[in-house]
Amino acid sequence: MSSSPDETAPLFDISGLHYRYAGAQADALADLDLEVYEGEFVAVVGANGSGKSTLARLLGGLEKPAAARRALACGHDLLVEGGRTAARRDVGVLFQNPENQLVAQCVEDDVAFGLENLAWPAADIGRRVDEMLARFGLEELRRREPHMLSGGQKQRTALAGVIAVPRRVLVLDEPTAMLDPAGRDEVLTAVRELGGEGLAIVYITQEMDETVGADRVVALERGTEAYAGNAGGLFADAALVRRLGLGLPAAGELALALAERGRDLPGLPLTMDELLDALGGAT
Amino acid sequence: MSGREGVAGAAPDDPRGPGAPLSAGMSLTCGGVSFSYEEARAAIPALRDVSFELRAGGSLALMGASGSGKSTLLQVIRGLDEPESGAVLLDAAGPVGIGHAVLQREVGLVFQAPELQLFASTARDDVAFGPRRLGWPEAQVTAAVDTALDVVGLPPAHFAERHPYALSGGEQRRLALAGVLAMRPRLLLLDEPFVSLDPGTRRQLVGILERLKAAGVTLLLATHDVDLAWALCDELLVLGGGRVVAAGSWDFSTAGRRLLAANRLREPFFVELWRRLGRDPQRAPRTAAEAAEALS
Repeated sequence: MSSSPDETAPLFDISGLHYRYAGAQADALADLDLEVYEGEFVAVVGANGSGKSTLARLLGGLEKPAAARRALACGHDLLVEGGRTAARRDVGVLFQNPENQLVAQCVEDDVAFGLENLAWPAADIGRRVDEMLARFGLEELRRREPHMLSGGQKQRTALAGVIAVPRRVLVLDEPTAMLDPAGRDEVLTAVRELGGEGLAIVYITQEMDETVGADRVVALERGTEAYAGNAGGLFADAALVRRLGLGLPAAGELALALAERGRDLPGLPLTMDELLDALGGAT
Repeated sequence: MSGREGVAGAAPDDPRGPGAPLSAGMSLTCGGVSFSYEEARAAIPALRDVSFELRAGGSLALMGASGSGKSTLLQVIRGLDEPESGAVLLDAAGPVGIGHAVLQREVGLVFQAPELQLFASTARDDVAFGPRRLGWPEAQVTAAVDTALDVVGLPPAHFAERHPYALSGGEQRRLALAGVLAMRPRLLLLDEPFVSLDPGTRRQLVGILERLKAAGVTLLLATHDVDLAWALCDELLVLGGGRVVAAGSWDFSTAGRRLLAANRLREPFFVELWRRLGRDPQRAPRTAAEAAEALS
């Protein structure tokens, strides 16, 4: 069951994936395909209930697919129990609600938890935990009980625990949702650095501006893929964006509102700088 | 005081009864409020000498870094935690006595991720829980539930008998909000209401809050989202380490921006745009539509 040494094989190789919750009338995921390669940053968007968090749980080996033509995570077959067990080790998953992830008596024990399960030597765990606490600004809270933390502190603690364990692939379910703007920037920077180090990252988000610059954006609709491509292609299709319950980054929303009033900007700006360029050019 | 008792208690002749506008706002004054959490080893101060005023019908964005005390302040205002010192004044009435307890019932608190607290087997019963606990007659409970479901965009004909868990995440969030609105709060406290909502549901929630504001409900909105805070709130209150570091009008001067950055915040998108376009950031638009109007 060891993972494939093949460098070119996708880290997630999913085809025709189905999943249905017990008692549900419809599939939560239906005939979904997804390939994610080393170093890729794939943003996943979709309305509440479109299947994003379900996908995260399946990719992490935490649920058994109802069916799939192919469902491989880091080379492990998610259709069999042994493969899911191995995927749980190799795929780092940050859940949407950090409450579900914090298990230890204090922050530093929580960050150490995954490493202890891997039976790292205590000195190595200590060094790694210190590094993670510093990276996420948690040093002063290291002895704090998790239930005494704010929402944003819990989220950073959970993320530090996931990232502490060296892996080839991360699945992050709205990792910035509870964070203040500076914390959001810090986490995005940390995630981009991990991508730069060659990790594959599946990044689930409701923040449209976080998708700009992703290698690929996958939009889900009722558990199936409604769009896959770059962010610009998704946001250029205003009707699709509305149908999917999504929106545009603020720069794009303004460009649309201007177009409705008869002022068309060159291209579709998605960032502040692109917007300023477009406004300058159009004036 | 006894008149208020009637309003929030049995309330058969509530002037804000079914069909009436949702509410008229309540004013809020916090004077020198301090509060600490007890942990095994030591008390952790969460609020230190917090003072501010919010006028009836006003809207205030409560901002600050993670752990700055925002959620704690909302819980103290709602009366779920007792301040160690200082006082919370509602409608400028005194902090003690039965009158205060009655007024606190007219303060609605929407928790972070309130959908995690849905528990009844139908949407109607979940929303009816609060009004029934207040002892309202069943006919009035029904009317209040129907109104609240309508306000949050879950028409009762379609949603009232559905199981809360059969709803989408966005619908659950709105259902939880309906449970608070059914009690006709005059002061609505919201703790990160936009977190994890898709952009479409966020737009709906912004519309709901705009309507409540227009109806005169006082809003206190704790959020990290500076753009939505700017779109919805006339004033802001910034907490840092449990203390008030800014209160009152939005300030986008150099000093004001520095203060936001020091508290892990930033200026709203349209404010930055106005500044970078050489326009007056204090007069920046609140929404994309307003910005487009000004630029077209």
